[in-house]
Amino acid sequence: MRRPPSIAESLLRTVLPHDAVGRSVLGDLTEEYGRRAIKNTEAARRWYWREALAIAFHRTRDKFTKTATPTTYVSDRVGRGDGLLQRIWADLRFGTRTLWRTPGFTVVAAITLALGIGANTAIFSLVNGVLLQPLPYDEADRLVGVWNTAPGLDVEQISQSPALHFTYEDEGSVFEDLGLWNRGTTAVTGLDEALQEDAIWVTDGLFRALRVQPAIGRRFNREDDTPETPMTAILSYRYWRSSFGSDPNVIGRTLMANGIARQIIGVMPADFRLLGEDPAIYFPMRWDRSQVFVGQFSFRSLGRLKPGVTVPQATAELTRLLPIAVEKFPGGMTMALLEEAKAAPVLTPLKTDVIGSVGNVLWVLLGTAGMVLLIACANVANLSLVRAEGRDREVAVRTAMGAARGRIASQFVTETVVLGLVGCVLSLGLAYAGLQVLLAMAPNNLPRLEEIYIGPMVLLFTVGVAVVASLAVSLLPVFRYGRLNLVSALKEGGRGASSSRQRNRIRNALVVAQVALAIVLLIGSGLMIRSFQSLMAVEPGFRDPAAVLTLRVSIPSAEVQDVGEMALSHELIARRIGEIPGVTSVGLSTSITMDGSAGFDPIYVEEFPLGEGQLPPVRSFKWIGAGYFETMGNPVVAGRAITWSDLHERARVVVITENLAREYWDSPADAIGKRVGTGLQPGSDWRTIVGVVGDVRDNGVSEAAATVVYWPMIGPNPWQDIVGDSLFANRTMAYAIRSDRTGTAGFLDEIRRVIWSINSNLPLAGVRTLEDILDRSTARTSFTLVMLAVTTAVALLLGMVGVYGVISYVVTQRTREIGVRIALGAQTGTVMKMVLRHGLRLAGTGVTVGLLAAFGLTRLMSSLLYGVSPVDAITYTTVAAGTTVIVLLASYLPARKAAGVDPLEALRAE
Amino acid sequence: MTKRQSIIGEFEQLVLLAILQLDDEAYGPSISEELETKAGRRVSRGALYSSLDRLQQKGLLRWKIESATSARGGHPKRRFEVTRPGIAALRDYRKALTNLWAGLEEVIG
Repeated sequence: MRRPPSIAESLLRTVLPHDAVGRSVLGDLTEEYGRRAIKNTEAARRWYWREALAIAFHRTRDKFTKTATPTTYVSDRVGRGDGLLQRIWADLRFGTRTLWRTPGFTVVAAITLALGIGANTAIFSLVNGVLLQPLPYDEADRLVGVWNTAPGLDVEQISQSPALHFTYEDEGSVFEDLGLWNRGTTAVTGLDEALQEDAIWVTDGLFRALRVQPAIGRRFNREDDTPETPMTAILSYRYWRSSFGSDPNVIGRTLMANGIARQIIGVMPADFRLLGEDPAIYFPMRWDRSQVFVGQFSFRSLGRLKPGVTVPQATAELTRLLPIAVEKFPGGMTMALLEEAKAAPVLTPLKTDVIGSVGNVLWVLLGTAGMVLLIACANVANLSLVRAEGRDREVAVRTAMGAARGRIASQFVTETVVLGLVGCVLSLGLAYAGLQVLLAMAPNNLPRLEEIYIGPMVLLFTVGVAVVASLAVSLLPVFRYGRLNLVSALKEGGRGASSSRQRNRIRNALVVAQVALAIVLLIGSGLMIRSFQSLMAVEPGFRDPAAVLTLRVSIPSAEVQDVGEMALSHELIARRIGEIPGVTSVGLSTSITMDGSAGFDPIYVEEFPLGEGQLPPVRSFKWIGAGYFETMGNPVVAGRAITWSDLHERARVVVITENLAREYWDSPADAIGKRVGTGLQPGSDWRTIVGVVGDVRDNGVSEAAATVVYWPMIGPNPWQDIVGDSLFANRTMAYAIRSDRTGTAGFLDEIRRVIWSINSNLPLAGVRTLEDILDRSTARTSFTLVMLAVTTAVALLLGMVGVYGVISYVVTQRTREIGVRIALGAQTGTVMKMVLRHGLRLAGTGVTVGLLAAFGLTRLMSSLLYGVSPVDAITYTTVAAGTTVIVLLASYLPARKAAGVDPLEALRAE
Repeated sequence: MTKRQSIIGEFEQLVLLAILQLDDEAYGPSISEELETKAGRRVSRGALYSSLDRLQQKGLLRWKIESATSARGGHPKRRFEVTRPGIAALRDYRKALTNLWAGLEEVIG
């Protein structure tokens, strides 16, 4: 016999009564299913499913509506015997119907709630994706970043030294696996076009620690990571797709990187990111351990702790290993120096390394969204109060008929929850749209963007917020009904049941709260605007950044072997680009201001020798050609800039920034002619300061200006005590090109043609304007600003609606009184003033409360501010005055209405 | 039409009439078929059984459980009959309709 679909059948067995009647229904369906299945089994199955669902629906409905008739709310008298579900169902039906009957209220309230909830959903999905979700690695909670601290040098956190890394790896027992990594670029040749690609150099333990396997091929092993073995490389999924056309046979192919052939051994999975980085290629670091010493603190490191090992335990062990590292890898810092620097290992949860300081921004934004929700709730509560008054009589009648107060209360709560859920559904739509905008707008350096979506966690949050918000909103009406005076409510026919003074007090309090919250948000936005202004006013060390195009050109040794010739090639390219029509000047540097690629090394000053055991301060190093300062627009404060002839003569000269000069001498001019040097100890190779230039904000606009030493891009190697006498030059140089044609069509092509006319194999990369670099530096501030401004605008709008609603309601209530006043000779002006005074009183109280609250709350955002105090007087005054004006505007319309009351009409209406 | 307990809806009326038409053969599937072929009303089983239960609660019909057959997966059969009050309710309904229809032939045709 043909059997009906078993799931549908068990659904029926569940909903049908377990008696002969129930079984007879099953029988009817089985019989007919059999008949239909002879013709078409699939259609019969569909039919059976449909009927089963219909029966389930009707049975459930019949069960719950047995006692509630569709026109009056009989279930007020529901007895003890009736189930809770039944009552909730009845409440839901009644609530839905009541809301349906007052569409105006329902629509406004639902949209208001949706705005409030939606803002929270959108920002919570950011918070959830970025801050709360674990990192996308297996057992990510055991992953830690390995850093060092050196309070003795005033250094809070510095990166890892290979010597310490290898000591921890060989001698330590707290890590399962440990890896070192470092970003850089590599020139890839032999493909269609010579290109400079982002690459990351890793030790073999890194991918093991992250427990990630390549999508195809294998990961680096110890042999790949050892010098003198064949060179290998692993591609990122993105690069494999774009440059190898997803070739499944890519394993074993050869990649020419920096002129060296390397065998491709793997392709990483598509969604793999190394702490948010997605380079084109991974290379093994291949450390020669005989060259390693305690120093070179410039590598990132991460490790996977063994199960059960805590961070303090691990830190204690690593601290014990420091002397062993000094012994194993001599030639660098001594134990005495480490002790003087108070150097110690620091382990951070890897998540902190990924997220950085963005947590602050997100929590502040979530707080802001929370305030918008409070304002929305206050608005809806006000609306519900107005509506509840109109229903005093209904409630009084029902109470008189024997409805328990608890029943009436629970029904109001249910009604508001229904409203909240409608708002919740709307809010998801709003949040989804909002999130798309937000993600499009979010700064590139906001981590984990690809992990943000509206998932189960966010949905749960949204529903939770909706329910809590609607419960909060329904409290006021419920509280009101608890004290409703039956007799007067019935007598007065539903109007003015409770004392109007008390009623207005609640309503006024709600408006005051709204104004106060809006003030807090406005001040938050105001402070961000002021921060942004301060950032924009900073002298970053360049001017007119939109006109400066930057790009990097690399000359691999495979193209030009000789270092001197290589430097001349760079000079030639720069000169040729300078001849392009419209180009004002061209500068060369290893690092453009704020691009984050400057190096750091110690600097000794001849005139100020260090005391015994004293460490030299570390400065930013940049290697430049002629024309760099001129192109950037950074003025030479004293002396002169570096010239091409300095380079040709291999002159021992440097240029320093003004702040560095002033650290040692009274004026920049005093620094000219003085000598500085680098290396392991002072005295071997002094360079003369020939110029002082303006300060540069190399670490970002909001950071203090860096102290920079500019070296000629080719010259005698300053580390002679380590590498011996040789020429030092950089193969990759960043070009800064100032032209009014920057950004116009064809300009970049022309530059490319010029470069490739000199050597068609030269890779160029990182094409962007100086303005792009600047924007990246201010992105977080402008993002926070825009987000705060949008939420504040919503808050202000809701607040205005609230004020308007309350004032006009009060005017309607007092129409009769106003009519009498006018009849007795009151002037329109007097009436308007009376209403406006009410508005002003609300504004005054709200502004005062808001200013006090802002005074306390804006401290929380002080880490986001720049160049402005959290209690900035200008912001506070402007916002207070502005809000008062806005509240008065919102009261103006009702005031005009009041002044226009026709006394005859007003009296007759009674 | 003053006795409110005998109020029946249009659909309930159709169901009662279909049962009467089917005589001894009135059970779920056949009632559904009768409604579809003679009255052009397609109705889900859920709605039909729900109406049948309601009519039984109002005392307008009753049912008998008959023995199981293998074509029905071993489930029993429920055969419906219209009760005396059911027939009375149909009569009331027809009377009300007849009264209201009187003299409208020219208007409605």
